[in-house]
Amino acid sequence: MNFHLTHFQSLVLFAVTISIAFGFLGRRRPIDRIKYILWSLFLFLVIGVGIGWAMYPFSH
Amino acid sequence: MAEEITAPETTQVELPQTEAPETNGKSEIIALAIGVAGWILPGLGHALQKMWGRALACFLTVGALVVFGAGMRGNIFTSNGNDAFDSLGYIADLGTGSFYFIAKNIETGGADVSHAGGDYGTRFLATAGVLNLLAALHAYEAARGRKA
Repeated sequence: MNFHLTHFQSLVLFAVTISIAFGFLGRRRPIDRIKYILWSLFLFLVIGVGIGWAMYPFSH
Repeated sequence: MAEEITAPETTQVELPQTEAPETNGKSEIIALAIGVAGWILPGLGHALQKMWGRALACFLTVGALVVFGAGMRGNIFTSNGNDAFDSLGYIADLGTGSFYFIAKNIETGGADVSHAGGDYGTRFLATAGVLNLLAALHAYEAARGRKA
């Protein structure tokens, strides 16, 4: 079994799985879980991509 | 006529005997067993308490991270590491419980961290372990009656 994922795909996969786990562990009501998962996923992606762009000048 | 001051009579009230300490001890052992079960098989700690949603979420998320981490040829640390980071990685990987051995079976070709995929895989495996430890701790706390 071999997976070849890009940086962004890996980031999204990581963000989705961790957000779901945190959402289910941290919240009890379904609506709260959905809200938490979406918010956490959004923050993961924005901060991840943001840090990526912040490092861009150092690699050139 | 001076009144005599007498000391108030002390009465001994016998409290009913309860079995609270023994019950607490038993429930603590059960809670510990639930925590260990959750560590050995991700989600089992919650399943034993009939928290089906959390059990399924733990099983699937930890399982997905392990399968993808091993499939991306991440580094699965062993007990004979060279430095502190290897030992920490081993502890984190062991956090997945039985899934540690599944990861070893999936990754038959060995780790390849010369590519970004392998590096991501290493992080996925470590995260799966830490996440499972967190879930096991959550199951333990829930079994002890803490709000979860």
